[in-house]
Amino acid sequence: MAGPHEVLGMSRLLGISTTEFLSLYTDNGGTTLRSEADGRCVFVTASGCRVHPQRPLVCRLYPLGRMTDETGVERFALYPLQSGCKAVAGREGTIDTFLNSQGIGPYLEWSSRYGELYRRIVGLLDRLDIRCKVGAEAGGPGRPGTAVQEQEHDREPLSSWQDIDASIAEYCAAHGLEAPAEIDDTILLHLQAIKEWLDNLDSRIENTAPREEVPEESGAV
Amino acid sequence: MRNQKEGNSVTRRDVLKLAGTAAAFCTSFGFLHAGQTGGVVQDKHLQARWQQAEVKWYAGSELLHSMAMPARVMKHLESDSNATVEIKLFRAGQMLSSLGKIHAKY
Repeated sequence: MAGPHEVLGMSRLLGISTTEFLSLYTDNGGTTLRSEADGRCVFVTASGCRVHPQRPLVCRLYPLGRMTDETGVERFALYPLQSGCKAVAGREGTIDTFLNSQGIGPYLEWSSRYGELYRRIVGLLDRLDIRCKVGAEAGGPGRPGTAVQEQEHDREPLSSWQDIDASIAEYCAAHGLEAPAEIDDTILLHLQAIKEWLDNLDSRIENTAPREEVPEESGAV
Repeated sequence: MRNQKEGNSVTRRDVLKLAGTAAAFCTSFGFLHAGQTGGVVQDKHLQARWQQAEVKWYAGSELLHSMAMPARVMKHLESDSNATVEIKLFRAGQMLSSLGKIHAKY
């Protein structure tokens, strides 16, 4: 799993754009890091993780899993270590100590901020009476295709918002702004751009219904 | 952005982008539960439940056919963590072999 802010961090570390990163290193609509044929993450090498300083939250948490309920109460679980994993895990210390050692704070904050936007999106879809179906498949039932075609389809981002560099470039061009250089500033602007998009949709969604529209371009919407 | 310049109606493209973004955030952040009344569950792996099951037949790397599990079967698999899927091969009504049993929770 890799959120747009995590993709941004890793792409900056590698010196490439988020557009390139999504194309080269992600699967499942740009939502997960690509795996090699043997199942290991594309960034795991014999000498360790290539993006370790900017690794995603899920990697920072491991071997813990975290979930919160609707009231915000956190729960953690301990996963069995993967075979071949050289990490040393123990039960000494506290979860807080472990989380702090992994620099998790900012990631939880960003996750929370994107979560607020996600709830708004789901709310808008509800108002449009759209049941959000997640996990749409490539080459779905009754649509034979090659495995290669499926794989290519899986690699297209599900949403153009996942590509922060492209989103920010478009936003800045429309607003006469200069794209921020810092990762945190870029994420803040990304959140702001999505919020404005939702505000705009929110205001248009009253007394309106979806109408047919000829697609103007292919790829991510 | 571009949508902001469009008229006052919500287009199919808007809806598709909303749905695509919801799906992307849901998957990449692990937001699996959300609603107008409830909060959000942030989760990376713990609640990763599957929502659709497919059977696919390949010849090498070529996908010959793909078939989704019927809704009735899915409903049962989702509601019963002890449910199992078994794959058997038959010829002329006689079972040749069983490829094994898979627990639904996986």
